[in-house]
Amino acid sequence: MSDQHQEGRLISTPRKIDIALTGKCNLSCAYCFYADEMTSRTDLSTLQWLDVFESLGKLGVMNVILTGGEPFSRPDFFELVDGVVANRMRYSILSNGTLINGNTLAEFNQGKRRQRLDSIQISIDGSSPDVHDHSRPDSYSRALRGLKLLKDAGFPMTVRVTINRFNYRDLENIAHLLLEDIGLSGFSTNEAYPCGATNRYENEIMLNPIQRRDVMNTLTRLNSMFQGRISANAGPLVLSREESIIHEAQANGAKVLPGRGHLTACGGVFEKLAILHDGTIVPCHVISDLNLGNILTDDIKEIWQSHPLLHALRLRANISLGTITPCSTCAYKGYCTGGCPGGALFLNHDFNTRNPMDCYRILTGEETYPAFQVTSPS
Amino acid sequence: MTQTSSDQTRYLCNPDVGLREEDEEGGLLFNPDTNQVKIVNSTGLFIWKQFTKVNQPDLVAAAILRNFEEAPAEVVQADLKEFLDEMIHSGFIGKVQSN
Repeated sequence: MSDQHQEGRLISTPRKIDIALTGKCNLSCAYCFYADEMTSRTDLSTLQWLDVFESLGKLGVMNVILTGGEPFSRPDFFELVDGVVANRMRYSILSNGTLINGNTLAEFNQGKRRQRLDSIQISIDGSSPDVHDHSRPDSYSRALRGLKLLKDAGFPMTVRVTINRFNYRDLENIAHLLLEDIGLSGFSTNEAYPCGATNRYENEIMLNPIQRRDVMNTLTRLNSMFQGRISANAGPLVLSREESIIHEAQANGAKVLPGRGHLTACGGVFEKLAILHDGTIVPCHVISDLNLGNILTDDIKEIWQSHPLLHALRLRANISLGTITPCSTCAYKGYCTGGCPGGALFLNHDFNTRNPMDCYRILTGEETYPAFQVTSPS
Repeated sequence: MTQTSSDQTRYLCNPDVGLREEDEEGGLLFNPDTNQVKIVNSTGLFIWKQFTKVNQPDLVAAAILRNFEEAPAEVVQADLKEFLDEMIHSGFIGKVQSN
């Protein structure tokens, strides 16, 4: 084991939980991180979810993100929201937007549903049906309708654009649509990830390195044009920011930056967990294959504090990039955090390695990499 | 201003406020209605728990003195008053109306 990098006391229970309320969805998106799990597993019942929320409330969980599948596809959705509210939690929703109508908005006005709502995220992948529907079939007009209903009613909302091979040339039009035509204050971006349904398409949907560079340049330009109204926690815009950080560090003669040089990219395992629609507990939905237990039968606090896989993911932050292949010879390792462990797991079958999608050396072409052959982790 | 000496007023924690106990050193109070968070030390945690049922400041002060034997009474009174004032001001603890 490499040198100790990060000290810190683990909080007693997770503060946040991502909850896939259902595996059912009215869409079949090309890059959905949920693939066959959606149909092969059974949703928890209303009562089971309400019991789960009671357990989470007793643990002091503060926020839940309600997702799926499509969370609004559950007939009992608002009964479940009431369960969240009753157990002292706030919530956000990730939705495709297609099932949102006037009745949906009216439901939010009951009790504290709207007061406790942090945000609703709607997915939009194009400025026109031709583009959007390519990755999210037959959904553009309905998604846009849901989006506009939420905006006009003053809901706290965000839009996520998942950049992929079908829409990366449409980004400027998407930005104009969302920020000017519809008038959103901003939107966030990510890119199609090598998990779930992406496997079926065998690299037909993920960006290749050349496209990723194109998107980095485009997003940086658009973000400047739109005064910082485009955001990202991962994907090409983050890569662009990271590139700027590297260039500045090099210009200043810094060999190592604080908090970098180790596999420190993921802080999620120090504050949250995820629960799939059948109750399976996983570190996050990106790493849905790492089964930590089931909420119906296992003690989530015990899992949080003692599960060896979670422990290993947290220890990842102690692994110096200088000790792993091929990062040990990389000129940029002092500026790097290794990238998302989910990507590392899917592409390398080992989360204690770098995520090639976040690798600057691959991005610049200094290292060649097989064109993201995506296989299921063992 | 809240009185704590011979104060017969009764108070109760806001039932919507959640508590995260990290360890014996304290915890975090979270009001999901307002998104406010307050960090409390071990004494604050003890006081909070006293008001999870309807209670009076003078009784809580007595409980503090029993559990924190080295605490001077006047310091306890002052700290309790300060804590209660802050909690009431931010809606974390409320006054219980007399019948």
